[in-house]
Amino acid sequence: MIRGIWTRETVAMVFLAALLPVAVSWIWDEGVWGTGRLVFILVLAGLWQALFTFFRAQPPSAAGAVSAFAIAVLAPEVGPLQFAIGVSFGFVFGELVFGGWGRSVLSPAVVTIMFLGFGFPAADWPHLPVQIGWATIPAAAILLFFGVLPWRVLVGALVVLIAAGGFTIDLLNSAIAVVLIFLVCDPAVSASTPLGRWFYGALFGAMIALFAAFWETAPVQIAVSAALLVSLAAPLLDEMAIALWQAVRRYRHG
Amino acid sequence: MPEKILTSEAGVSLPPWMEFRVEPLAEVGSRVAQGKPLLRDRRRPECIITAPISGRLSELETGAGRRLTSLIIQGEGSGERHQYDTQSALEELEGGSGSTALRQLLQSSGLWMRLRSRPFGKVPEASTAPAAIFVMAVDTRPLAPDPRHAIGEDNIARLNLGLRVLSSLCDGPLFFCQDQGPDIPDAHGRLKIVRLGELHPQGLAGLQIHRLFPARLSRQVWDISMEDVVAIGQLLSEGRLPETQVVSVAGPGLREARLVRCPPGADLREICYAFMSPGPRIILSGSALDGRESRWLGFHDRQVTVLERREPTSRHWLEAALRRASRPEPVIATAAVEHALGGAMPGMALLRALSVGDDEAAVDLDVLSLVEEDLALVDYVTAASPRFSDLLRAALNRIEANA
Repeated sequence: MIRGIWTRETVAMVFLAALLPVAVSWIWDEGVWGTGRLVFILVLAGLWQALFTFFRAQPPSAAGAVSAFAIAVLAPEVGPLQFAIGVSFGFVFGELVFGGWGRSVLSPAVVTIMFLGFGFPAADWPHLPVQIGWATIPAAAILLFFGVLPWRVLVGALVVLIAAGGFTIDLLNSAIAVVLIFLVCDPAVSASTPLGRWFYGALFGAMIALFAAFWETAPVQIAVSAALLVSLAAPLLDEMAIALWQAVRRYRHG
Repeated sequence: MPEKILTSEAGVSLPPWMEFRVEPLAEVGSRVAQGKPLLRDRRRPECIITAPISGRLSELETGAGRRLTSLIIQGEGSGERHQYDTQSALEELEGGSGSTALRQLLQSSGLWMRLRSRPFGKVPEASTAPAAIFVMAVDTRPLAPDPRHAIGEDNIARLNLGLRVLSSLCDGPLFFCQDQGPDIPDAHGRLKIVRLGELHPQGLAGLQIHRLFPARLSRQVWDISMEDVVAIGQLLSEGRLPETQVVSVAGPGLREARLVRCPPGADLREICYAFMSPGPRIILSGSALDGRESRWLGFHDRQVTVLERREPTSRHWLEAALRRASRPEPVIATAAVEHALGGAMPGMALLRALSVGDDEAAVDLDVLSLVEEDLALVDYVTAASPRFSDLLRAALNRIEANA
């Protein structure tokens, strides 16, 4: 008997590889201060994963590093204590209590960022430089090449974003690109049926367009809020897609 | 042309789900002709096992509940073959008057056990009529033989006769699944020729049944491989069972891959040993995806895979302890998983339903059309633990018990 390679950790490793171009351009821009923040989150997230490994025999996942990076890039600027509380809340209640990456409903990065955003509304949202947006293109290419990125989500979101922007690329800025590739297209939290994935991507694009039209705030907040809402809607979208599939089969096969 | 090998020993190795309970029809130590009935299932008299080669029945062992554990026949080169009386079955087929004698003939010659009914993937009951029959003339498993090798000039007539027998067993359509080449059988009324791609899992009966004619609790669908239909044709036209079947012997543990004709239940060591490369090896009956380590060629298998035997490497005690204690990792929905299910159904939803034991949702996602072999590729791709094929069998057993 032979075993294949597409275990959870292989997928996480592909995600880490895809993260490299974005990480390089972000660290280039942020310097030592940003690196320190990233290391702080990595240590804290690693600590929580280790605790759950020892007390609940829950294997740790390298995907935690991807979430840690997304938090470092996208989280609002708050003090270290608030930051520690937010990261702990996000990892424990967003992911680890559900059984770790692959069993959770939400990405811990989205939970952390929204927790900090709601908890400290006066904090400034980061502004992502334009080269990070460009760096997401090789990242998406790596993920698509290995078949890890659900391409239907990506295409669905891009089509809606471009159409809603009046066939320009106004709505495609760095913040939305990073959130789309690393948080929305995370295969563990996105919808899992083919049709559900089209719905899911399109819903993300529609939310972005809606928020951008009526909400005067930073693009990061718009993008992460949309990511949270579509993640919560993903099971419903899957359920709709399955119901539709079953109706078609009932019609076809009696 | 495949080389013909008659092994000096042959055994019977049944898949574990068959639960065959032995009632012997021949004495241990007696001489048996090839094709003579040897065993009958105590609970289901329509299930009969025949002698794969002619020789002496040298060993018959049963385990708990008289389940068959081992049956060995020593070949003694007389080449005697058992003759069946096909007169009444042929008359029935020509007259088109029912199928009682035909069923009787198929059951007494053991060819009935070659049929597999879905849902649940068991040998069909003696008197049931299926809603459809799928004849599989493709095998896309890695290193599987091309079923066209089993078709010679004289076998086309046997195949057409066998297909007529099958169509007299059921009132519904008869799907003949073949590759993209020219039609193999002659088309007739209810026979539909389906052309399939070459990539695994396209050639699995389960996916085609799911796609074309899903099985339900109230609607059985049977499947059978083309070579067995040829055997049915040969039984009716000559009254004898075929001596050999086409088997591919391949894998990384061999010096060269071979295509042979050998008896069902042939001794795999005898077939493989002369061609193995040096080093520890493991001989699987079946493909590398769903094969089992076995001394004899398995009941439904048409290929033998020889792999390198890897001893488990020793781990650090802490890592070993963590792994033993840990819960299995979940499966992530990548394109690999989607392709492994042929893109035919909401695959992740089905896998989730199986892993949490939600039988109702699994039935809604058409789990009743599948058997273990249909999920073997998912098990390979995701290295899942526990294996989805085992979870599927457990779910099917629960559904069957409740039905």
